[in-house]
Amino acid sequence: MNLIFEISEQGKRCATIRKPDVQKSSLAKKYLRSGNLELPEVSEVDFARHYTALSRRAFGVDNGFYPLGSCTMKYNPKINEEVAGLEGFTRIHPLQPQSTVQGALEVMETLQRDLAEITGMDAVTLQPNAGAHGEYTGLQLIAAYHTARKDFKRTKVIVPDSAHGTNPASAVMAGFEIINVPSDEEKGVDLKALKAVVGEDTAALMLTNPTTLGLFEKNIKEISKIIHGAGGLLYYDGANLNAVMGIVRPGDMGFDVVHLNLHKTFSTPHGGGGPGSGPVGCKKELAAFLPGPIAEKTARGSYRLVECKKSIGKVASFYGNFGVYVRALAYIVTLGAEGIKSCAQHAVLNANYLKANIEDLYPTEKGRHCMHEFVVSMQELKDKTGVSAMDIAKTMIDRGYHPPTMYFPLIIHEALMFEPTETENKRTLDEVIKALREIYEEAFKDPEYMKAAPHHAQIGRPDEVRAARQPIVKYTKE
Amino acid sequence: MANYLSTTERETKEMLESIGVKSLDELFDDIPKDLRLKKLDLPEGKSQQETMEYMRALSKKNKVYDVILRGAGSYDHYIPSMVKNLASRSEFITAYTPYQAEMSQGILQAIFEYQSMVCSLTGMDVSNASVYNGANAAAEAMLMCTEKTRKTFVTFDNIRPDTLKVIKTYAKRRGIEVKVLSPKDGAADLKALKAAVGEDTSCVYLEQPNYFGLIEDAEEVGKIAHDAGAKFVMGCNPISLALLKSPAECGADIAVGDGQPLGLPMAFGGPYVGFMACTSKEMRKMPGRIVGETVDHDGNRAYVLTLQAREQHIRREKAFSNICSNQAYCALVASMYLSAMGPQGLKEVAESCTDYAHYLAAALEKVGLKRRDKGEFFHEFVTVSETGADKILKALDRAGILGGLKLSEHEILWCATETLTKADLDKAVEIIGRVK
Amino acid sequence: MKILFSKSHEWAAVDGKTAKIGISDHAQKELGDLVFINLPEVGKEVKAGDVLCDVESVKAVSDLYAPVSGKVVAVNDELEGAPELINQDAMKAWICEIEVENVPSDLMDEEGYKNFIQG
Repeated sequence: MNLIFEISEQGKRCATIRKPDVQKSSLAKKYLRSGNLELPEVSEVDFARHYTALSRRAFGVDNGFYPLGSCTMKYNPKINEEVAGLEGFTRIHPLQPQSTVQGALEVMETLQRDLAEITGMDAVTLQPNAGAHGEYTGLQLIAAYHTARKDFKRTKVIVPDSAHGTNPASAVMAGFEIINVPSDEEKGVDLKALKAVVGEDTAALMLTNPTTLGLFEKNIKEISKIIHGAGGLLYYDGANLNAVMGIVRPGDMGFDVVHLNLHKTFSTPHGGGGPGSGPVGCKKELAAFLPGPIAEKTARGSYRLVECKKSIGKVASFYGNFGVYVRALAYIVTLGAEGIKSCAQHAVLNANYLKANIEDLYPTEKGRHCMHEFVVSMQELKDKTGVSAMDIAKTMIDRGYHPPTMYFPLIIHEALMFEPTETENKRTLDEVIKALREIYEEAFKDPEYMKAAPHHAQIGRPDEVRAARQPIVKYTKE
Repeated sequence: MANYLSTTERETKEMLESIGVKSLDELFDDIPKDLRLKKLDLPEGKSQQETMEYMRALSKKNKVYDVILRGAGSYDHYIPSMVKNLASRSEFITAYTPYQAEMSQGILQAIFEYQSMVCSLTGMDVSNASVYNGANAAAEAMLMCTEKTRKTFVTFDNIRPDTLKVIKTYAKRRGIEVKVLSPKDGAADLKALKAAVGEDTSCVYLEQPNYFGLIEDAEEVGKIAHDAGAKFVMGCNPISLALLKSPAECGADIAVGDGQPLGLPMAFGGPYVGFMACTSKEMRKMPGRIVGETVDHDGNRAYVLTLQAREQHIRREKAFSNICSNQAYCALVASMYLSAMGPQGLKEVAESCTDYAHYLAAALEKVGLKRRDKGEFFHEFVTVSETGADKILKALDRAGILGGLKLSEHEILWCATETLTKADLDKAVEIIGRVK
Repeated sequence: MKILFSKSHEWAAVDGKTAKIGISDHAQKELGDLVFINLPEVGKEVKAGDVLCDVESVKAVSDLYAPVSGKVVAVNDELEGAPELINQDAMKAWICEIEVENVPSDLMDEEGYKNFIQG
């Protein structure tokens, strides 16, 4: 389809504004730009058709099955969108007097408290704009904590080899060095290797639990002992909280700092890649370092914004992605204590149901229940047929399903990571099971066809090498 | 009460049987028993109707002003209906990052169009798919410019306070020194800048217009930065770029800013969108996602996420930035806004802002609120007055007008946009005139 | 001039006091289509085994290690815009030139390297 620039015609207008009813002003010529602004010129019907066409070439949770592991693509309730669009939330200025935004501050304070309860933490900041941003914030808290204790030697952050790429990247941004630890045979942290690397220079261990393999880290108590015994802190990457919320809390597992992803666990939409929101919770020993301002309820029952005493400083402008908080709060309020727990239970049920019905063909960790997601390795199929995890993913597209996460975590060869989430129904799962079993058979019957998949999508496989070698990253008029 | 599950009790039973377990609890066997939670201390769930009533009641505890004369980083602009309407399509809202190009051409093309528009506005060669907000964009630009021997970041104390705060946080623990120079008459002091930059300067960061609304002599600042071998980074208000020289014309290596004025509501500070664009020379240091054009195996035009080897999921601890989720949906809205306005519409918005702001400045002067700074301004300016700022702002508030932002006892930062009318401004000025 | 290979698949064409450095054809095949090379800086001093620079394919970044110790005195700028030259002829596409301080004794000749990758 055409780019909007390619349907542009000089002189066409779409949105129009009122003519100012005051005298024209003028700025000195030396400040003014020369030449034309290359923006599209379209009529309103052109506009509507263009963006409708784009939307039809997008695929969201509302379009179908979206088992993208690690991303928790659960249904995004419509009521949350409507609520976030209320004028009382959208048309308020971030620097209005606090007495005029009591509702907004109540949203923040309530959400902070609810998230603290769900994670077992003492204090929460909502400010970080995404999960990785939360990691960065959490690690700065950890750095501030050690520094305040005059414990300057703690320069290293330990990261398991199965961790999300953001973990090591965030730790480096926060000024730490990385130590990678391998996984053991059960795909948990190798305790022996962990003991060998912890020491006086350990600032923290970053852990996702359940891990990126969708397995609960059974040795969590032992790990906590090792890290805390060495004077380090335990950081919880909340990407997988959906599996255990209401069942076990990071705080009770021994974690000192956590970040959450409201756009994963708390149903706020992903919007094609954001905005997310990555609140950070911590134990009281670290609360003084949180980025402010934080919402607080006063003894009189009103709300106010306060700064933390020894804050690490701001990590984003104003108070973060407020519109996302409104949606997450509406979700938590609707679910309540029981509803939150049943989300986790059904997320785990759905994943295990899918796993149980395909694992004879799509091999995964044996003899254990998975949590909300599971990772299969297609290495054997590839050895036999030449069909790779990527080919299976592309064949799923032909069947109208979004593929699972591919080639992650890095420690599993030919990995596919399925996370069906709790909002998927049994009928869809049954259809997917049938499709995946057929696809497996197809790999033996017609591997070449699968290697060229998708055949019925918007495009065939794109030439990514060309895109990277000679980058074309903007429209240029011919 | 509602929980968005779509499995019946009977189906749940069937599924448990198929897995070979007796209860949901059994699936959680790996979790040590003594760690398990009894029950969350949260209220019971609500019906959707109750949730709506509860949230609506909260929203009504916020005061929505009829007239807004405050900016300082968040601006009240007219948002066209077609932007709101088309952006609310659920395919856009409920999609994830377009990792699977074959079923995400719509999202990828939308980002490509957004990148193209940011490049048009800024005059730069390459834009990324967005970062969190304007403050973070400036901080990321600082990290892009930092080199082993150039670790000093130079700016003026006339940039947005939040941006400076975020920059300081990001500089910490990276061995980056942040040098904040005092402005002269509110604007960049070129003499002081010349004296401050040197062999250790990574970049000079300038906001255009600056926090006080003044239009800076950006080209001169850029020259001084480049003469010292440093990079020049400009933070811009995107609406102002319809009128003002583009960052490329001013010699900038990197252009950043907050895209909120482009169709995003003030929404108590977010979500907004940080835009970031640079020259092709800096492209491979740019953080975040970038969409590129290519062809599929049949030779059809196709869009993909490209230059991914820069990013954290591949480069891990060696990545320039940790950014993963960005503000894609807000970037979509911004690009829709720019398409809806077109070059002429955007220029009209910028001119309307300037016209009303200049009218307001002149009218305020007549009631004793004089402009503090001499330089030319876009749609914000600072006044000084004998009457206290609090008194003035309170009087306006009583009339449903959100006045400017108090900077000190006697200084106020005002803003005017196209949402205002002459009558609004006359009324505000009249009220101020009566404050004793 | 003699061509020596490291266990990490770089080659060094040692010619008197300088050596041109590249990667082996085997390495090129393993890495797949290269899309970019971050050339080392001229003047950089390296010990054998240090990270020299890195190359990017679409989905991976791989470090290249210095096969010999010394100082980088020249880089092959041509590769910056055309990393595919490495894929086309890895033995011809030199990456940089090093003023050699020391050649480690465990480098292999062509025959030895052949056996190494087959073993």
